Amino acid sequence: MNPRRNPRLPRTPGTPPVAGVPGLSRRRAMGLLGAGGAAAAGAVLLPGCGLGTGGISGGENGAGEVTGAFDWRKAEGAEISVLQTPHPYQVAFQPLLAQFTELTGITVNADLVAEADYYTRLNTELASGAGNYDAFMTGAYFIWTYGPPGWMEDLRPWIDNESATADEYDFDDIYEGLRTSTSWDFAVGSPLGTGGQWAIPWGFETNVLCYNKAEFDRRGIRPAETFDELRELAVDLTDRDENTYGLAFRGSRSWATIHPGFMTQFTREGCVDYTLEGDRLVAAMNSDAAVDFTRKWVDLARDAGPTSWTTYDYPDCTADLGSGTAMMVYDADSATYPQNIAGNSAEAGNLAWHPGPAGPDGNYDTNLWTWSLAMSSASRNKLAAWLFIQWATGRDAQSQAVQTGELGFADPTRESVFEDAFKAGLGDFPGYQETFERVIDSTRIHFTPQTQFFENTENWAVALQDIYAGDDAEERLDALAQASTDALDTE
Amino acid sequence: MSTTTAPPEAGGSGPVRDDPVRRVPAWRRALRPYLLSVPAVLIIAGILYPFVLGAYYAFLDYSAVVPEPVFVGLRNITGTLGDPVFWSSVRVTATYAVAATTVETVLGVGIALLLFRASLVGRLLERLLILPLMIAPVIAGVIWGLMFNPQFGVLNHVLGLGSTFDWLSEDRALWSVMLVDVWIFTPFVAILVLAGIRSLPREPFEASDVDGASWFYMFRRLMLPMMWPYILVAVIFRFMDSLKVFDHVYVLTAGGPGGATRTLQVGAFQNSITNLNFSLGSTYMLLLWVIVFITARYLVSVLGRAQRRAAGSED
Repeated sequence: MNPRRNPRLPRTPGTPPVAGVPGLSRRRAMGLLGAGGAAAAGAVLLPGCGLGTGGISGGENGAGEVTGAFDWRKAEGAEISVLQTPHPYQVAFQPLLAQFTELTGITVNADLVAEADYYTRLNTELASGAGNYDAFMTGAYFIWTYGPPGWMEDLRPWIDNESATADEYDFDDIYEGLRTSTSWDFAVGSPLGTGGQWAIPWGFETNVLCYNKAEFDRRGIRPAETFDELRELAVDLTDRDENTYGLAFRGSRSWATIHPGFMTQFTREGCVDYTLEGDRLVAAMNSDAAVDFTRKWVDLARDAGPTSWTTYDYPDCTADLGSGTAMMVYDADSATYPQNIAGNSAEAGNLAWHPGPAGPDGNYDTNLWTWSLAMSSASRNKLAAWLFIQWATGRDAQSQAVQTGELGFADPTRESVFEDAFKAGLGDFPGYQETFERVIDSTRIHFTPQTQFFENTENWAVALQDIYAGDDAEERLDALAQASTDALDTE
Repeated sequence: MSTTTAPPEAGGSGPVRDDPVRRVPAWRRALRPYLLSVPAVLIIAGILYPFVLGAYYAFLDYSAVVPEPVFVGLRNITGTLGDPVFWSSVRVTATYAVAATTVETVLGVGIALLLFRASLVGRLLERLLILPLMIAPVIAGVIWGLMFNPQFGVLNHVLGLGSTFDWLSEDRALWSVMLVDVWIFTPFVAILVLAGIRSLPREPFEASDVDGASWFYMFRRLMLPMMWPYILVAVIFRFMDSLKVFDHVYVLTAGGPGGATRTLQVGAFQNSITNLNFSLGSTYMLLLWVIVFITARYLVSVLGRAQRRAAGSED
């Protein structure tokens, strides 16, 4: 019984004309609908890749327009928009914004965007040149991308202008490694600390070891002092049957996997990411030392890291530490700090800090992350934005944030604030201060600044994942180095 | 109505002057079709402008480090087509789309057949079935990410896989993200096919029942051929959507480990938004659009044939 021949079934003509449209068959109409659907799909997809008008945004530096004696109320009545992401620094400052308004007469509209989406939003905002946000939170690495197109205001002229900056501001009170990390002249091979001051460090993190001291004490062990000892210790502390493991560190497919523990130990082991040969940067993450270190690092992830290491970001690492699943974390001190605050985790009160393994020569080179405040060059309220940045990165506000911050304020960027308010309120955080003091002088950005940072560094993380999945470390890093050098050559 | 368009009689008369329609000036009448088409034109322009702009970027060298765009012709396209990373993304995308659509279709049709016969349980399940569709894929990605976690995820616990089975490892990640897709979208296929089954004419089935045909015979020779158009509509929707998958893949793996789940959409996002290389991202999307366009045309032609077969107009 073939339904195609069933006379009782209603027959649909093959290609009837669409009502009211002579010559347009249903088949043709469906084809056009398919094409239209695809076009609509593309239309949804494609604009996501373009960001409107593009081009260099912003204009002349606004610092020169500010004259006369300094006065916090110079921009009274102005209203500024600030783009921020939820973070202990932002949480600490939120209640203080009213004080800023009272001091200056400037209204601050703070927009919060979750960190996962923050840079997508910020990229789009800056690339469009719309100037919707006058100031924004940024990491230092982003300066290497946002700076060259002219999306950021150079804050050096603002700092140097006595009409715009209070006498007591004391920019040099900010740790040197932080000041230099947010300054660059964008020339290939130039070190950090040259050129403009594109952002002012607001809070920062050193990447060190945090461990479960209660468990260490119970076992009668101490943190490792060398990288090989760390590997052995982490493996010893791993018990998959008990769902515990030795060391948590990031492994997701992101540039952010490279910069904390990996880059810190990579540098301590004497490795560098790029070398300057003539006027070009040549990737060096495939040097013998780098290959050896990378192989050990990936083995460490496999033998004593989280099972789903390739998806791990810092919240996963710190959550495992706080729950007692991970015995150690090699990541930002500010990320582990809240886990030791009573009520924040199961292991609160049991954690302690250690600088992590020293390099073979005893060095404690440490890579940093700093949340900084920057000004959009497209801002239409530059003086008000600068007053906000100046206030937020100033001694008084930062001291108050340290004292009242709900999630703490680790770490303050000013030496005076660390020595005074931060130390006074540190409480029972074993090893935190000692660790900080041990590494601070060698804490800076240890990456070579480059405009292709995110692409090349994400590819680095992909290479780690490939090695984790079984690729030969030497071959994979050779390919990575070649691709990274090529990317810079064709820039 | 024909009187309204008739030309006025010579000399004029009272009734003609009183007809309100007659007073509409000719230029306004001429303008009507254009005014009526304005919303459609605006909608099309709203779709086409960003599309054309995005396509145009594919022919520029435009990125954060090259903020003033330079026209480079086909260089981006030829460069991308010669890039093994792009072809890896094409392979991942094609595998994902084919496998996810196939599984969702088979399961969806199976569920629709199970729910076809009206019963209390069937009606209840029908309502429950729609729940995953109400969850945004991003949220589904977050939920499944927690479930996949080897340390504390429910899957390893329930399945007794311990803490060493990694659902998102390089060799399993693609299948795991497909599993999430299947979870979200199988109900879509089931509901669409179920609606189709319920709209089928009863007479052929009653007749074959009288003739003593078996259930399987009726399914194979009656129901399935008549269901094809509905199944194909579901396949078209799901396949085109799967080619453009992004949300839960990005949430779960960000395209990793390595390039294991880097679909074309994820690659385009990473190029455009993470790396701020707008031209390269647009090139990915333009090439994806070409793939979607060709696939859509083909599937729609298959659908047309199936509809004609189901209607008995084509052998």
